[in-house]
Amino acid sequence: MFYPQSIEEIQRVVVESHAPMVVRGGGTKPGLLNHNDSVTTIDLSDVSGILEYRPEECTFTALAGTRLNDIEEVLSDNDQWMPFDPPMVDKGSTLGGVLAAGLSGPCRYGFGGVRDFVLGISWVSGDGNLLNGGGRVVKNVAGFDFPKLMVGSLGRFGIITEITMKVFPQSQAFATLEWDCLNIEEAVKFMKLLSLSKIEFLALDIESNGIVRVRIGGIQNSLQKRLDSIARYKNGAVIFKDREESEKWSSLRNFCWLDDSCMLIKVPITPDIVCRLDSKLSHYEALRLYSVGGNVAWIGWMDSIVKLDKILENLGLTGLLLLGEYNTPWLGTSAFDNVFAAKVKAALDPKNRFMSL
Amino acid sequence: MQHNIEVNNVGPNGQIMADAVKSCVHCGFCLPACPTYRVLGQEMDSPRGRILLMKNVLEGTLSLNEANPFIEKCLGCMACVTACPPSVPYGDLLVSFREYANETNVKYSFFDKYLKKFMYAIMPYTARFRFVVYIGIILKSLRNFLPLKLRAMFDLLPASFPVNEKFPETVYAIGNKRARVALLQGCVQSVLAPRINQATIRVFARNGIEVIVPQGQGCCGALTYHAGLSDSSRNMALQNMKVFPKDVDAIITTAAGCGSAISEYSRLFQDTPQYEMAMDFSGIVEDAISFLDGLGIVDEVIVNEDREIAYHDACHLSHAQGIRNAPRRLLHHIPRLKIVDIMDGEICCGSAGIYNLEHPEVANKLGVQKAVNIIKTGVDYLVTSNIGCMTQIEVSLRAMNSNINVKHIMEILDDAYRGEF
Amino acid sequence: MSKSFLDKLKDIVTDEQVLTAHSELIPYESDGLTAFKALPRAVVLPNKQSEVISIVRLCHEHSVPFVARGSGTSLSGGSLPNERGIVIGLNRLNSILDLNIEERYAVVECGVINNDVSEASKHYGLHYAPDPSSQLVCTIGGNVAFNSGGAHCLKHGMTSNHVLGIKAVLPDGTVVQIGGHSLDSVGPDLVGLFVGSEGLFGIALEIILRLVPMPEGFRTLLAAYPSMEQAGDAVSSIIDAGLLPTAMEIMDNLTIKAVEATVHAGYPTDAGAVLIVELEGEIVEIEEEFKCLRKIIYESGAYNVTSANNQNERALIWKGRKGAFGALGKISPAYIVQDGVVPRSQLGSALAEIDSLSEKYGIRVANVFHAGDGNLHPNVLFNNSDEEMLEKAELLASEIVQMCIRRGGVITGEHGVGMEKREFMNDMFSDKDMDQMLILTDIIDPHQIANNDKVFSRSRVPGI
Repeated sequence: MFYPQSIEEIQRVVVESHAPMVVRGGGTKPGLLNHNDSVTTIDLSDVSGILEYRPEECTFTALAGTRLNDIEEVLSDNDQWMPFDPPMVDKGSTLGGVLAAGLSGPCRYGFGGVRDFVLGISWVSGDGNLLNGGGRVVKNVAGFDFPKLMVGSLGRFGIITEITMKVFPQSQAFATLEWDCLNIEEAVKFMKLLSLSKIEFLALDIESNGIVRVRIGGIQNSLQKRLDSIARYKNGAVIFKDREESEKWSSLRNFCWLDDSCMLIKVPITPDIVCRLDSKLSHYEALRLYSVGGNVAWIGWMDSIVKLDKILENLGLTGLLLLGEYNTPWLGTSAFDNVFAAKVKAALDPKNRFMSL
Repeated sequence: MQHNIEVNNVGPNGQIMADAVKSCVHCGFCLPACPTYRVLGQEMDSPRGRILLMKNVLEGTLSLNEANPFIEKCLGCMACVTACPPSVPYGDLLVSFREYANETNVKYSFFDKYLKKFMYAIMPYTARFRFVVYIGIILKSLRNFLPLKLRAMFDLLPASFPVNEKFPETVYAIGNKRARVALLQGCVQSVLAPRINQATIRVFARNGIEVIVPQGQGCCGALTYHAGLSDSSRNMALQNMKVFPKDVDAIITTAAGCGSAISEYSRLFQDTPQYEMAMDFSGIVEDAISFLDGLGIVDEVIVNEDREIAYHDACHLSHAQGIRNAPRRLLHHIPRLKIVDIMDGEICCGSAGIYNLEHPEVANKLGVQKAVNIIKTGVDYLVTSNIGCMTQIEVSLRAMNSNINVKHIMEILDDAYRGEF
Repeated sequence: MSKSFLDKLKDIVTDEQVLTAHSELIPYESDGLTAFKALPRAVVLPNKQSEVISIVRLCHEHSVPFVARGSGTSLSGGSLPNERGIVIGLNRLNSILDLNIEERYAVVECGVINNDVSEASKHYGLHYAPDPSSQLVCTIGGNVAFNSGGAHCLKHGMTSNHVLGIKAVLPDGTVVQIGGHSLDSVGPDLVGLFVGSEGLFGIALEIILRLVPMPEGFRTLLAAYPSMEQAGDAVSSIIDAGLLPTAMEIMDNLTIKAVEATVHAGYPTDAGAVLIVELEGEIVEIEEEFKCLRKIIYESGAYNVTSANNQNERALIWKGRKGAFGALGKISPAYIVQDGVVPRSQLGSALAEIDSLSEKYGIRVANVFHAGDGNLHPNVLFNNSDEEMLEKAELLASEIVQMCIRRGGVITGEHGVGMEKREFMNDMFSDKDMDQMLILTDIIDPHQIANNDKVFSRSRVPGI
């Protein structure tokens, strides 16, 4: 394990080390690390700090090892936030980690994911060069979009060192409504109805027990009127506001609903597959949360991971193992077993200094 | 767009053409608006492409005969002008270029050359055209033995010969006289559908408009003008100027193509001794629709049934003259009437003067598309404002076994007044 | 190009689909940027995807360069033909293959026109959000290649933020499917990389697009200011107040006059600048936001404020903005459209600098731009029959680009590098960064045939 203190040190480590390298940030997603002894693990927690924050531009630049809760604190002093709603912030997750893992939280529904907010990126390539892609302004199409490519890449192309992100003004007020639709089928039906409405939900989640949960945000003055009209969509809405509301989402983002022994897997899905997936998972007593309007499944898994691998493969889905141990972080069908991915890998990491895809 | 056109070497309209080319920025906004581009899917058959072709011919870097087939394929519907952000005067460019092409002795195929000669020697002359139509109807059964282009001609003929009614020279206003107008009967229309003018006269009379129908009038010159045959257009126009009185509130046309051509007399008569006279004439020409809309309907229409109709914008009314609201306002005078939008309504039906005779493949495709979109609306009546569109749309609808009624807006108003709608 | 290549091309498609006559090639000599022109050896117009794939494979086999073209509206010369190669016109691949309302996506072929996607889905209350000014013309394939933006991308994002999946034919003829139907993904974001690669990675044949509900309401406001600087400052104040409009657009006096001379959008022609701000969302919400917005606008020195009360008035305000580029043709035979981005807070001073540059060169510059994200569109107006003036105009344009980089911005916000900004790439990226991009290009396109003369000047070999 290496603990470089600076970008120069990262470059040196990369040049000097032999085994394939993997990167560790806050260590909140051990499933992404390879547990094989032959790899070199590079811990970036000391390469941290916000390099530049310009509230008037709605952008900041920070080193990869910067903890997200430090960033959130600075942003909230200026009434701004990262609307992609990064998960596991309270557990010590880092900016580089959330980006490399490609994770976004419930508000991805309303605002877009981490891929939609990354503007620029620097990384150390396999031969120790420091490379850049993107820029520091909110709009840019010059050169290839390496910043997006790095999202979800798990450091397979290089070691992400510095990231420029776009942020948004924080909403004045938030509120949350919950309905109990009794079962997943009804919940999905209701969710689809809501997702085609004109209401600008920030988050739209359902739970396997039939709970549908939506979040709205905006100007304080209009919030109650909006709540009233949304509550009319279906009887029995329970409304949450203020602290209770924010704590609810914070506990969801930090996966407080998981047992300690649970593995955690993220699976991108589409709304039409929710019911099928849910019925399969229910046989294994897995914990299930369907977020982002039925586009992401968060699975708390206690059975053998091989079984889940198989289930996902049979459904043509790909999963990402965040908590737990397995020989690969990617489960199910390979989402990038194609010539394009192989060529990109060959171009960015020709000597296979990093783990293979 | 920059050009190297030497304006003095390309005929009297050099400057007009050069200026039009110059104002094109090649943005491509005209592509989806252009019926031929939509049907043929290649940029030579788009306004932007044609402008480039014309530019190259005028610059001397492309031979006229190579470029001309694509210029010929333009319908002249002017939908591109509506879509054009810098408002390139494409119509001026096209007509000027066609004139230049004619004067430079552009080559046509044997068939096209004689088809053109034949059509332009017949259609603008009511008596000749009536005779040919008469013969055509009799020979209609022979159509299957003819080449495609000739077949198209027969297809467009009416099933039976329309009654040739003589108009009284003056039809007095009913009630309070609010205006006095002279009616330009139109060459093709007065043969194929004299009922349109009859309806117009009745509707006008009911609304206090006295209509006179000058004797000795002829074609306005539109057909030949749009083909770039300016000399013959000028002669026809002068004949009309001679017979039409000046002491009327307006000279009324009931065919959009005529109105559009007459509004271009300023270019047709530029640098001629008759310019002033032509401007006086064209200054008081107005389409029946916009004239009646402007004056206002006073005689109320009473209808007992809910009706849905679709209104087809004739290109020469909407794109060339910018008249889009007036016809809809007029139709809304008919109570309980709903106007349904036609999908891709801004696209030409394929009529375009004698285009459906010259390029039947393209015209047929456009006609079919138009008919499909009209049938989709589910209406019983298709209403429009130009004889060319009416003929083309009716033929296209019948070919798809649709019996939707095709009427001129004046006919609908007339029917409504008479309780027949 | 050997005879046999053309013959083989005609084995793939019919003779009518291969254009080779001079008169057939001329209409393809330029795209939306007429400063560059080149005649290809042939233009081929495939009718279906399988034909495109075969054509690309043939090009790869014969190392014949190809340029994909949709409606040819690029403002950076992105679809400028290659004289040694062919143009593949994709306008006939215009089917919307699937419109899934419940799941909110559309699968379209690359030649589908941007606006047609929204037209097809509007009946269900959905639309495709990215709206380049040329949305009535430009194709989705072109949008994907250039990651097109638009006036409303301030809130909605660019093309890249709305593409879920792509089926593409790579330059070597391999067909790949990347991304999928879900909003989220795992693994490297290959779709993100492909979008905006300006055709260098091949041709997107089928694209899965995200559809979003049309907003319940709009509030659109047009404010006239005595000066550009005041309009620019107003934009900063709006952002500082925590508002997130969908669009903020500024036009200068020269542009206003050109627009009024053509599309008659009702802009005050005496204004130094007009600012368009649009809010969208739930009606109760935007009414509150609008109150706040109006207050800011009045405090920022606007002397004439009109707001649209209905869809027609809104359309009229936008008609002027969307027709602005074309309208400039009315006041100048040629212009270079720049597309640099500066940090938003520097808008005012950047515009002042453009002004003084314009004075220095004695060349007019008309400004119309996406103020909300600092994306400038200075239009350098000139007469390019005058060699000297053309040179001066190019110098002026290049100084503007340099200024953007100096201020921490970028050389292009949405038009792409294309042909036009190739030489500025080195000012933005280090040699090593450039090498990495070139290496990637060469691995994906070993024969260097896919729009390969764009984005990079190939004067450098990677690593040398």
